[in-house]
Amino acid sequence: MSLRGAFAFVALSVTSAAAQEGPPIPSDSFDWRAGESPTIDGGLVVGFPTALPTGMSKGLGGGVTFGDCPLRWGARAAWVTATESTAAWEVTHSDLRLRLTGSAQHDAGRGSLGVRLGAGGTLVHESRVRNQGERAGLMGDALATSAFAFVPAVDLEAVVGLHVIRSWLVVVSGGPSLAIVDGAPRWSWTAQLGVAWRR
Amino acid sequence: MAPLKYLALASALAGCGDLEGFGGEVTALATIRFEATGDFEAVRVPGATGEQLRVALVWAEQWLPEAMCILPPESPEVGAAVAAGCRNPLSFSPDRVTDNVALGDGELVLTALPAADLMVGDVTARVAYASLVIYDDRDETGTLELGRARRFPQGGFDPGPDVVPTRDVIYGASFVAMTEPDTRLAFREGDYLESGFYPRRGCGVPLPAFSVLSAGGFSFAQAIAATAAGMLPSQDPATCAEAKPEDTVVRIPFRVPAEVQEVGCDQRREDSTVRYRQPPDEPLDLANLTYACAKIPAFGGETPPDLIQLLVASPADDRCKGLTHYTLFGCDESENLTCDVPEWDFRANPPAWWPCPVSP
Repeated sequence: MSLRGAFAFVALSVTSAAAQEGPPIPSDSFDWRAGESPTIDGGLVVGFPTALPTGMSKGLGGGVTFGDCPLRWGARAAWVTATESTAAWEVTHSDLRLRLTGSAQHDAGRGSLGVRLGAGGTLVHESRVRNQGERAGLMGDALATSAFAFVPAVDLEAVVGLHVIRSWLVVVSGGPSLAIVDGAPRWSWTAQLGVAWRR
Repeated sequence: MAPLKYLALASALAGCGDLEGFGGEVTALATIRFEATGDFEAVRVPGATGEQLRVALVWAEQWLPEAMCILPPESPEVGAAVAAGCRNPLSFSPDRVTDNVALGDGELVLTALPAADLMVGDVTARVAYASLVIYDDRDETGTLELGRARRFPQGGFDPGPDVVPTRDVIYGASFVAMTEPDTRLAFREGDYLESGFYPRRGCGVPLPAFSVLSAGGFSFAQAIAATAAGMLPSQDPATCAEAKPEDTVVRIPFRVPAEVQEVGCDQRREDSTVRYRQPPDEPLDLANLTYACAKIPAFGGETPPDLIQLLVASPADDRCKGLTHYTLFGCDESENLTCDVPEWDFRANPPAWWPCPVSP
């Protein structure tokens, strides 16, 4: 089954394409236009860390989306980081999330509503520092360690966009995320608030 | 679709790396190796069986003895009470027990630094000292409980006994008193400034972070002479040693409990002040106690109150030594018997059992 075919199944529940442009609002002083593929977006990303059992990851993310309503595909990347401590450790996880996405989207006037499925992997960089270690004179691996891991992950996000002016949109997305960490599924969530541009 | 295939393949192959998160073994901040020396049978409490010998890391506090325990006694009776109720004025005084292991383990793994309140100095130069204490964990709590000197009953509001119910028996310590050779664990942060906190004048400075220090000690007379000269008492440099914990083994000699039990005695007051107490209504069993009538001591420049106090020493079989001070006049808030409104005044009518004169 092709990728487009797979997402067509998801799209069955989504109303077919509506008007690309809504009726002009007489009092609207912000001109806008629907634009064409591709759509480029970026913004602030928050969410639960991929492999850290607690904390809030924050960072930047963005992506590009190709295609027209209702089915689209694209690629996304996000870099988020979270730092948490225990009595013994200060642990920082930096997640580089890489996804290929397919989405089903319904446009209505200035707005659009869709569901986006992303699959790929997350490159996790872990940095651990022994709390109090520097004061105790520890050095090297006894003081700090780092490690990388690449874990498969999928995201399912609801995506809401709103044309603000010309080709610019405000985009909000968020939803659950599933990663396989240490061979076990780990659920988390992710959300993004950003802007997008359509050609 | 090629990129998707490669990404999926990489995901499947990569799996998870060596992420530890908060898990994994906690790295030790220091490991202190120790061994007991001497013959345990020679110091064993008669009749004791089934000892569970453990080693505790006990951090020191600053402590100043009360004047009565330093000044020359005014009479043989006072001398006897001081001998029974005063510990060595240069004793190691415990503040907190942080780590305990079985004696057979041979090493103490430290996973935390001493808290800031255990360190003396400011943040640019501070130090903490600790003694390694061998004890028999008689109450099977796994840790050494610090004891306190007994507090005898008092009149008026009596908060009651606050003796820590510990039965642990101490059989040795690496740091017992400044008047003896000692081996102590030090934690130094920042610079090192000489101070009266268990001084090591004449020895090398403690190494940064954890170190094991040794010194030969000095006599009480040397300490008094140095203090009178405005100096710190000196150690014999030939007895000094400073080493990283991994480079040395702390040797703890077995000793008779009576010689080392004060290492486990928390002091009620650390600043040499005295709390004078109201005589109780019920007579004390003075026949079985060491007591004396004494003037209120005062250092130079102070005018002692015109009172006689009753000194009662803790019983000889108590784990911790202490003096209880009774006066016929006083107030709870005052440490020098200067009371705007006395809370008790029996000078005109002392209790029937009161064994001392009213005034000098």
